[in-house]
Amino acid sequence: MRAQSSALARGLTLAAGLTLILAACSSGGSGTPHQGGSAGLASCSTQGKANTCNSGTTKAGGTFTYVLEKNIQQWNVQDTNGNTFENGEALEVVLPQVFVPHPDFTVAVNTDLVTSATQTGASPQTLVYKINPKAAWNDGTPITADDFVYYWRTNDGKDCPPPPASDSTQTKGCLPQSTAGYDRIKSVTGSDGGKTVTVVMNKPFSDWKQLFGAGYPLYPAHVAEKLSGAKAGDAAHMTAAQLTQGWQYFQKTPPTKYATAGPYKMQEWVDNDHATYVPDPKWWGAKKASLQRLIFKVITDATQEPIALRNNEVQGIYPQPEVDLVNQVKDIPGVTYTIGNGLTWEHFDLNLHNPVLGKYTALRQAMFTAISIKDIVAKTVGQFDPAVKQLGNHNFVPGQAGYQDLVTSTGQGSGDLAKAKKLLTDAKFTGVGTALKTPDGKAVGPFNCRYTTGNQIRQSECQILQSDLGNLGVKVTIKPIGAADLGTVLAGHQYDIIVFAWVASPFPSANAQQTWMTGGGGNYGGYSDKQVDQLINQAVGETDQTKSAALLNQADKIMVDAAYVLPLYQKPTFLAAQTRFVNMRNNSTNVGPAYNTGEWGLKK
Amino acid sequence: MLAYTVRRILVSIPVLIVSTFIVFLVVVNSGDPVANFATSRQPAPSKAAVTAFARHIHADQPVVERYWNWITGVLHGDWGPSVQTNLDIGHDLFTRFRVTVTLVAAAMLIALVLAVLFGVFSALRQYSAADYTITFFGFLFLAMPVFWFAVLLKQAGIWINEQTGSQFLGTIGEKSPYLDVDTGWNEFTDRIGHLVLPTITLALVSFASWTRYTRASMLEVLDSDYVRLARAKGLRRARVMTRHALRTALIPLATVTALDIAIILGGAVITETIFQWHGMGEMLVQAATTLDVYRTMAWLLLSAVVVIGFNLVADLLYAVLDPRIRYD
Repeated sequence: MRAQSSALARGLTLAAGLTLILAACSSGGSGTPHQGGSAGLASCSTQGKANTCNSGTTKAGGTFTYVLEKNIQQWNVQDTNGNTFENGEALEVVLPQVFVPHPDFTVAVNTDLVTSATQTGASPQTLVYKINPKAAWNDGTPITADDFVYYWRTNDGKDCPPPPASDSTQTKGCLPQSTAGYDRIKSVTGSDGGKTVTVVMNKPFSDWKQLFGAGYPLYPAHVAEKLSGAKAGDAAHMTAAQLTQGWQYFQKTPPTKYATAGPYKMQEWVDNDHATYVPDPKWWGAKKASLQRLIFKVITDATQEPIALRNNEVQGIYPQPEVDLVNQVKDIPGVTYTIGNGLTWEHFDLNLHNPVLGKYTALRQAMFTAISIKDIVAKTVGQFDPAVKQLGNHNFVPGQAGYQDLVTSTGQGSGDLAKAKKLLTDAKFTGVGTALKTPDGKAVGPFNCRYTTGNQIRQSECQILQSDLGNLGVKVTIKPIGAADLGTVLAGHQYDIIVFAWVASPFPSANAQQTWMTGGGGNYGGYSDKQVDQLINQAVGETDQTKSAALLNQADKIMVDAAYVLPLYQKPTFLAAQTRFVNMRNNSTNVGPAYNTGEWGLKK
Repeated sequence: MLAYTVRRILVSIPVLIVSTFIVFLVVVNSGDPVANFATSRQPAPSKAAVTAFARHIHADQPVVERYWNWITGVLHGDWGPSVQTNLDIGHDLFTRFRVTVTLVAAAMLIALVLAVLFGVFSALRQYSAADYTITFFGFLFLAMPVFWFAVLLKQAGIWINEQTGSQFLGTIGEKSPYLDVDTGWNEFTDRIGHLVLPTITLALVSFASWTRYTRASMLEVLDSDYVRLARAKGLRRARVMTRHALRTALIPLATVTALDIAIILGGAVITETIFQWHGMGEMLVQAATTLDVYRTMAWLLLSAVVVIGFNLVADLLYAVLDPRIRYD
């Protein structure tokens, strides 16, 4: 009996051990030649292919599960609290928008919604949208100018004002994520039975193509009118209370419960888990959905995504790439992937509230010159994406119309120690290379370099900066920030040097207002230059996009000379999907790869 | 025993109040969710939006007032506002509690059964090859970090799926978002398939230590006079083992199991994150990373109640397992 028990124990031991060993060995691939990097999405990194790569004819059927990295609690993407990437992706499947940002950073008119959208006059700036005669919500109500009026009036910051102080719940009002552009509209009127929309601006708005779309789709006005008791088709006369009711409804209600207008309709939303979409038979658009089912699955831990992809629990993932994650995906058979350069860009910021950093431009220029971005790239993102290069602009990224490299020629980011030292010596700094002192004898530093704890890449960036500035005689201490404390540190100016990322926009002038202008909401380091303010304001009001970009670049040149923020590189983006599906593309703008879900399908 | 139980419950109330107040102070001072809100969005929210957010989460009130409003609100079923504006914390808490209870209960049950079986077997076969094998694996599981073991198990699960050409073992979530053939049986097997890996992960850590306790306790009891007497009286070995030895040997295990509930809930944080179960563990991680004061407090309050409850159950179990213990 004892011998039998021992044999049993040995058998169990062996089986358990074998399973774990086999599992460990199997993680390196099953022997099937993997296709990552050789087909499908791999062609997306080829110049000029961003919008057409991974194309293919589809056949009906199949389920595609795509990962969302956060839950959705608030369904009004136009609201400041609902303005999340995941919410935008989930809603753009079912709600229409006029202009859609594409993978090459251009914006294209959505011809399913409007047959044309043009600027017909410059003074006053006049925009005319011709709505597709077939366009209708899936309850049969036509999409008309009324939907545009409702959008405008809830987003202009005036017709539906923020909640009053007396409202303890702070829910009785509208808090749009941005009023930019909508606050410049004088009127929105409909004609041709509501199928032509004419927008007249009070003040010109350069980025007019971001109105009524660009990741922030239209909601059905007739739904808001009905639930608030307003007259049907008369959004122009809805009261603030009625507009608020609609706004709140769309915050709380997933689009399973109201009329939508997309190739799919949302059939089910399971909070914190998944959304299920099925083809909408009422869809009038040129391309019909071919998948039997589209699922957006919430996976909040990016490191688990490759495992789920390998186990066929999901078919597409869009995580922030890291070396281990990319290597894991490379080893999955039947999966294709692409690493692209996104609109998110990494940068070092100096805190100009620091008396020394704020006072001496030459010091800041020297610090930026001593930093080697080449080293930073090589030791971080360059390990899995050799294409990453130094970024040369604060407002545009390569690939965007208007991008000019304004930084490299100044030597900033070159790691040229001799040049950096000369800048300091010329400015009468002493102790260069040993213990740096200002011309009036004050010690320079020690400065802290702050990064979000747990972010290995940013830790390495601070370490390289520490070493580079040490060569100038500037001591730097590295001080991590708690995972949830970045906001506290930025708003409280609790840093000398900080590394984090900004998201550029296909509409750069509105972004520039926030980030670079005096007192702008994102201008944490306290940069202020009257000329820059003036140029950005001009850019925002310039209706000619080329002239607007030129004005922004003029402002950018001044900012480069001021050495306030050193752009490092565009952060890589990473899309991986099973090769049996086609038409997914790496759209690294705010709309994400889900911008064309209607085209996704099983390869024929 | 009833009087004892009531007395213990009453004593727990001030403990809960003091501990929640201390934790509330710590949580409130651990970061600024308003600054986080103001800086983490692009475009940056308007000043009106930031003010509205601060008012919504009561960040404009003094800490003591906030605590008082929270604790009195909880008594009326209002768990306070979340930084996620539409989130009902109470609903979220109890939905997630159900998920965690499923996981923890399954893990504890498996761990207990295995711990008793292997612990007793190991004690009865002291210093045998089987005893050494069980001891070896016990220490191995104790030494392995949960996150590492979970990832290894996931890989094992995928390998099994690949070898069997099925997708029985799930690595994310409590169930699949859809079933090709939606029958009750398929739904049941789907849930079981998703339960296997996280349950093993969570169970094996507790199993390892509980096996050691059972073995040690059993050896001590087997060496006691009354067991020897029972054997000398001619009672059958099986009867001596089950009625006399095992019952006494289980007393320390009851204590350890009850006390370990806090550790298991801690283990569930990691397990739920890795297996993407939307339970209490994930809730704590989300609440902490978003500086969500009232959500963190809800988690802590419920966890504290569970831990206190299990300790009380352990005390009461003594009396059940050991007739010599009586509570007045």
